Amino acid sequence: MRHLEKVKYMPTSVRELVLEMKNLSELMIDLAYSAALFNDKELAEDVIELENRIDNLAFLLELHIMVAARNPEDAEALLAVSRIGSAADKISDAAADIAAIILQDIGVHPIVTEIFEKVEERLMRAKVVQESAIIGKSVHELDLVAKMGVDIIAIGRNKEWIIDPKEGETIKDGDILIARGASSGIKEFKELAEQNQRNKVK
Amino acid sequence: MAHQHPEEIEKIVEQLADLKNTSELMMDLAYSSILLNSMDLAEEVQRLEEYVDKLHTDFELRVLTSKFTKEEAKGFLGLIRLGVAAEKIADSAAQISEVILRGLEPHPILKMVIREAEETIANVRVTKKSTLVNKTLRDARIPKETGMWVLAIRRGEKCVRPKPDTVIESGDILIASGYAEGVEDLKKLASP
Repeated sequence: MRHLEKVKYMPTSVRELVLEMKNLSELMIDLAYSAALFNDKELAEDVIELENRIDNLAFLLELHIMVAARNPEDAEALLAVSRIGSAADKISDAAADIAAIILQDIGVHPIVTEIFEKVEERLMRAKVVQESAIIGKSVHELDLVAKMGVDIIAIGRNKEWIIDPKEGETIKDGDILIARGASSGIKEFKELAEQNQRNKVK
Repeated sequence: MAHQHPEEIEKIVEQLADLKNTSELMMDLAYSSILLNSMDLAEEVQRLEEYVDKLHTDFELRVLTSKFTKEEAKGFLGLIRLGVAAEKIADSAAQISEVILRGLEPHPILKMVIREAEETIANVRVTKKSTLVNKTLRDARIPKETGMWVLAIRRGEKCVRPKPDTVIESGDILIASGYAEGVEDLKKLASP
């Protein structure tokens, strides 16, 4: 059985709580689909860990909402926050369900991955090849979000995943990158990661 | 092997992709409905929820009737579960939009959160001088230029779901999702 953290009230900002729940739940969906489609257990395990985190946040959010409501008007104003918090929690549950497909060894038919990579427009996986132009560059330097609307959500290195890598993280030869974003951008980025500079036709 | 009926599998995967994309679009639209306190966007989410329900049933029937071998059964179960998860995401989006449909006032915190989130939502007005006017969405290449994805176009009272050949008019309000970094680019493009 998984260990459940004790719920304890501590003052924090409701805005921060909801913001983290929204960001995490959306990140989890993308990570979970990636885990399922690329059949990756480690990534699936990371999704389950994030799910635990969201569960804790959901409890904290509920506590804060209860403490904040002093009268019916407060309660009415806060109800929307509570409903949205619970929706983000449900979304993270769905992501955990997807991760469970992999962890329970059910898996997804291999031909699905093949076709899916053709129709999927938001997610991509790329292996950084030797002499790719992005090797040695930090996430910050690549500035992918501003340049092509793409965000690296996980870096696979030494059989482990760095989830939601920080700005200072540097890309290395052989890294597996999972990125999400606009379809034109992810195609461009995949080429950048998988193409040797030397062979670049220009 | 499943390779004996690739067209059937391809259709199944297409439906799965449709489930996945629609459920994610619904989330964006649902958060937009909160941000803009918009009844028609919230209603659009509910309509899409009905669409997803039908699509999901159709998808499951298709998976169940495809001739898979005993060895393949697990892989197909995985597909079914992916469909269930996408449906759950769509349900959650519907729950978000219900806030608006029930007449609850979106708390200011929610608007802040949606604006500050990694993946944000923006609404920009297309002005006369914009190069977007009279272009189709396909030609406007907004995702390429800004990294933002147009979810809906508000035109007067109506809300149009964009298609590649939708022509952008002056005065349109584009509702778009993407990373916060793209919002400024989109504003420059739409209201120079």
